[in-house]
Amino acid sequence: MRPTLAAILSLGLSIGPAQAEDLTVLTAGDQNMVDYVNEYLGPLFESRHPGVRVRAVGTGPGDAGSQKITERFEAQAAAGSALWDTDVAVVHEKFAGPMVKAGWLAPYRDQIATGALVTRANADMALGTEVKGHVMPMFNSQTALAYNPAMVPNPPQSYDELKLWVAENPGKFGYNGIKGGASGVSFVMGWVYAYGAGDSDKLMNGPFDEAEIQGWTAAFDDLAAFTKNATLTAGNAGTLDMLARGEIAIGPVWVDMFYSWQANGQLPPEFRLVLPAPGMPGQPMHFVIPAKAPNGDLARAFVELATSPEVQAEGIVERFNWYPGIDAQHVEAALPPETWAKLFTDVTPEDLATRGKPFPIAPYNNAILEAYERHLAQ
Amino acid sequence: MNATLPSDGPRPGPFGSGQPAPTAMQTAPHHPPFRRRAALPLAGLALVAPALLSVLVFFVLPLAASVEGAFRTPEGRGLANFVKLAELYRADILFTLLIVGLSTLLTGLIATAIAGYLTLGQNPRAVAILRWLYRWPLFIPFVVTAQIMRTFLAKSGMLNASLSTLGLADAATLGSWLDWRGIVLAFVWKQTPFVTLLLAGAMAALDRGTIEAARNLGASRFRVLWDIVLPQAARTLMTGLILSFVTMMSVLSVPLMINAQSPTMITADIAFRINAYGDYGVANALGVVSLLMTGAFAILYLRLGLRERR
Repeated sequence: MRPTLAAILSLGLSIGPAQAEDLTVLTAGDQNMVDYVNEYLGPLFESRHPGVRVRAVGTGPGDAGSQKITERFEAQAAAGSALWDTDVAVVHEKFAGPMVKAGWLAPYRDQIATGALVTRANADMALGTEVKGHVMPMFNSQTALAYNPAMVPNPPQSYDELKLWVAENPGKFGYNGIKGGASGVSFVMGWVYAYGAGDSDKLMNGPFDEAEIQGWTAAFDDLAAFTKNATLTAGNAGTLDMLARGEIAIGPVWVDMFYSWQANGQLPPEFRLVLPAPGMPGQPMHFVIPAKAPNGDLARAFVELATSPEVQAEGIVERFNWYPGIDAQHVEAALPPETWAKLFTDVTPEDLATRGKPFPIAPYNNAILEAYERHLAQ
Repeated sequence: MNATLPSDGPRPGPFGSGQPAPTAMQTAPHHPPFRRRAALPLAGLALVAPALLSVLVFFVLPLAASVEGAFRTPEGRGLANFVKLAELYRADILFTLLIVGLSTLLTGLIATAIAGYLTLGQNPRAVAILRWLYRWPLFIPFVVTAQIMRTFLAKSGMLNASLSTLGLADAATLGSWLDWRGIVLAFVWKQTPFVTLLLAGAMAALDRGTIEAARNLGASRFRVLWDIVLPQAARTLMTGLILSFVTMMSVLSVPLMINAQSPTMITADIAFRINAYGDYGVANALGVVSLLMTGAFAILYLRLGLRERR
């Protein structure tokens, strides 16, 4: 009996909370996020902290991945667990606010050396909720229109020009609606910023006003007509696939995916990007540390390393083609000028500053998605 | 040829007996021998309790919670989730029914054709090859099927390329098949082997005498399939189709990978409600609608089963 008991106990221990030297990192997002931690950041951290093992867990692409992390935190908070099973999590901007409001996160930015290197507004406010101190942006990412210059010699510089172009070239613009990934969502948000009756700043900064929704009807009727001349693609990768095969000529994509596909040879090198006026949204992915993380000190060291200028330069910009999370000037110095220039060839820093928008605050975000469902369901 | 095979009147007629031919499923009337009542009903109950308990805990309870969740709203219990569902997803519910209905119908037709050839085919080599080939999709998961279709059915995919090479269509005018047609193709491709497997089994178990008698009387093979074989295997076909319908209703990967636009299937909407809005209320309501649809078919299935046992 006793050996059995011992065996059961040891089994229970081995599948229980991670051991002291294990650092558990949950990450939402596409496979490239998990690859980033597993192949680059994890080994780097382990080499600087002998005896520590970084365990990266991918929770899935898109909002669904962050939703899973939220539900995991919620369950542990409701159960009153003294120590949670997560040291560091990487979540979408939309979920950082609710996590801070629920009181699940540790305010750690002032405790790490790199905290002072972030001054961008989206590190303080996340879609209308103050998150200052609780998050560090891992990177910033942006959507833009990717196009095939052979089929689009003069790319549209604005949503207005795009509308005209699509009317003349039916079926040659493709996007993935709102149910197949965030590049389509982003295109729709940009549409409402451009054509919604109200002030788009209010959508990005709040406060939420139900009456605002009434002002979108014309914009969505217009979008429904526009979509009749568009090709609907199967997901973020679906748009890039169709571009690569020449089935469409232009469509919204994530800038980092575009560059990664180009680097892998999945997209022809002559394809280009354009960020149309008045702008399309992008978003940061944030590092958060639960207040009840089992290894708080290691967790802070991990985020500090991940947001250091060297790692941001080599890992984020050079290897994975994301825009840096910390302020650009700290990163630029650590990179050869041509690498830096490559990231800003098509979408210039000025474009980013004027046409790179945040997503709308959460209630508007949901209201826009629902309005899209209502108007475009046939 | 037809003169020798009466096609009217009670079928199957030409067997002399005037009785319907016995199917493989039907057995002679069966009277259980008289048994004494168990002395200890509690013992029986104890035996069945673990199974019953796991069904209760792992199936009935979560199902009840999900149904109950469909009526839970921020303002207490109510029908708000169903109102929103009717407003936003009416088209998708109809779309789901049409897609799955059409897929079931096509699956039935193709499965009948394959099983019919396996039973009545005269070229042993062709039968052997078909028997070996048709089962392959059975072992391929839905998500892989969807992935295959994504490259096969794209605008410049293999299907259009083949059509154009064969000179059947012009590549420039061909569009992408990745809409409702893609979903139907994926479903039919995946489910046909399953129904064929059941149906061919039932057909193989039939009394060959009935088939040979009809052939001797000069019936064509199609006639034999339609008038002799299929009526006897109809219940098995129905069972296979009902199980297919219920399976297809629950597939998320195929609509998500082929066509997650509007309209799309209920499963994609359920995933979207949860992932984009964290809204379990409307997701549960959609689940209830889906449950009602499959429930109707489950009742059909049970009735068929009961009739067989009688």
